[in-house]
Amino acid sequence: MLFQFFIPSRPSVRAYEMVVDWTQTIAIFTLLVGITGMLKYNLEKVSRKKSGYGYNIVTIAGVLAMALTGLIWGRSEGTPFVWIFDHVQSPMQATVFSLLSFFVASSAYRGFKARNTEATLLLVAALLVMIGRVPIGDFISSYFPKIANWILDVPSMTARRGIFIGIALGTIATSLRVILGVERTYLGRS
Amino acid sequence: MDVGTWIAALLTLAIYSFLYKDNPFYKFAEHLLVGVSVGFLIVIAYMDTVVPKIIDPLFVRHDWLIIIPIVLGFLMFFRFSSKFSWVSRPALALLIGFGAGVAIPSIMQSYILSQMRATISPFTNINSLGTTINAVLIFVGLICTLMYFYFSKKHEGTVGVAAKIGIYFLMIYFGATFGFTVMARISLLIGRVGFLLSDWLGLLKIS
Amino acid sequence: MNFWQRASSIDRRIIFILLFIAVVIPLIFNFKLPNRVTKEVQAVYDYIESLPPGSVILMSFDHDTATLPEMTPMARALLRHIFTKGEKVIGTAFLAEGAAIGNKAFKFVSDEFGLKEGEDYVFLGYRPEISSAILGMGENIARVYPKDYRGVPLADIPLMQQVKNYRDIGLIISVSDNDSPNAWINLANARYHKPVAPAVTAVMATTYYPFLQEKQIIGMVPGLKAAAEYEQLINKPGTATVGMAAQSIAHLLIVLLVIVGNIGYFMLKRRNA
Repeated sequence: MLFQFFIPSRPSVRAYEMVVDWTQTIAIFTLLVGITGMLKYNLEKVSRKKSGYGYNIVTIAGVLAMALTGLIWGRSEGTPFVWIFDHVQSPMQATVFSLLSFFVASSAYRGFKARNTEATLLLVAALLVMIGRVPIGDFISSYFPKIANWILDVPSMTARRGIFIGIALGTIATSLRVILGVERTYLGRS
Repeated sequence: MDVGTWIAALLTLAIYSFLYKDNPFYKFAEHLLVGVSVGFLIVIAYMDTVVPKIIDPLFVRHDWLIIIPIVLGFLMFFRFSSKFSWVSRPALALLIGFGAGVAIPSIMQSYILSQMRATISPFTNINSLGTTINAVLIFVGLICTLMYFYFSKKHEGTVGVAAKIGIYFLMIYFGATFGFTVMARISLLIGRVGFLLSDWLGLLKIS
Repeated sequence: MNFWQRASSIDRRIIFILLFIAVVIPLIFNFKLPNRVTKEVQAVYDYIESLPPGSVILMSFDHDTATLPEMTPMARALLRHIFTKGEKVIGTAFLAEGAAIGNKAFKFVSDEFGLKEGEDYVFLGYRPEISSAILGMGENIARVYPKDYRGVPLADIPLMQQVKNYRDIGLIISVSDNDSPNAWINLANARYHKPVAPAVTAVMATTYYPFLQEKQIIGMVPGLKAAAEYEQLINKPGTATVGMAAQSIAHLLIVLLVIVGNIGYFMLKRRNA
């Protein structure tokens, strides 16, 4: 993949397309391995009647209901699969994440204290962005959105760029180690 | 108002009951969510990946070369055996090697070369005191942020000062990110409350 | 316990109730606040406006149902704009839930315009391994997606006769709640020089400003407020616009709580010193 980027000849493009295809196919099995692992865990808990196994029965029932309705009746609009997706899966998933808003508010109130310079900078930046990037900030004063936009365009962007470059150097170093065989922890050996 | 809306609303309230304390309704809803999510994944994985990438190539188009990645993929299941997990290594190696090979030129291009150019380019566009200050801040800020992540030298003296300035820039970034995180979570809350008030209770009309 | 001690130790359940009220009241009374359009959202709008009619845009639904309240308004606003301009859309998904979400979004908006699947838009569905899929589509979309979401072979779809790979695509929009836009930028933009516009949840917004400055992305639609701005630009207010007053009041509440908490902290610190 690395050499093909720099040598786009016909044989290298063919090899590139083949590797891309094969990677897609193998990746399907990583999905299947994950699904199998999850089912194995829940079935083991039920078969051994471990504490709270009733909830694992609910999980398995959910898997069966969704999988069977989808595989038997398909996934077009109006099918039981889509009905369960719309009225069970989507609402619950969205609600779980919306719970975080309450905890974010509570933890901001409790934890956001201007104890030192760094904490004060973090606090002030957060407050200015929270006010500047909603309509009420502009309503209170037109300076709020201007300051918030400046924070995002200059200091915040600069720090994020530094993080990107750090990530990039680390990724390239790790990738080279993998290619050269120095890094083998992904194979399960120490 | 239909049965589906009632089911969605009751499950929503079951999840929200966690705000008071952990309870059987929440646990039931949570486990049901995990179950239907995996069931959903099974259907999508089968229809969008197994059929077009395995069944069709093998049994419809008779593309026999596809047997190689299929065999490699099956070997992944040996991950479940502690004695034979080594059999899954070729497949893993192909995936990881692919990722590593793709990462190097693309990340070099997007994360390093382009970003370095973007740090210098504001200096070519200076037309006021504001743009000058911004250009200097971006350049100095980037150097200082990178100095903070440079751990091969102790953070003292000039390096220490630069690292300290880098931390200040990072704190502003984390603060801005937190502000946006609050925005995102509140948006999700607005969506769910909107559903409860409009679709379930009919107290308001949201298009 | 004096006032400041009480002010800096409010029970969290009271905070939960206050936040709930801060969201409910503006929704019920439907307050409206003016919403200034930011430059990154304007840039996406202007770019789509500049595309010639009949251009093909690739929209990737790389998010799950957890962020539906935030992402659905922006996806619908973008699709409405694209279809109003007479442009075509090809949809993909690199998260499994994105497949169902994308299909619903297309059906919902295309019904408003009376559009036909296969001619005006195509939804290709889900693929795992985003990197290999993005790279594969750069050479030949049909290799990555032999069939669309309905199971129709691409060779039988009229729209796909004019779209073979990225050369035939005018813009890539990644509607995402994770780092999928990074893959589009690193691969589709860096290697194939395709313009990319992330439409992301607000959490991801700060990640993409470096790319915005370097023009590796043509603009960005971050969060519910940006979705409201886009609805304003296309003159079709929807759920995002309705939510802006609630968003504003909730933010104001949290800011006030933080300020009160800090004043309490300093007053107690001074008292104990």
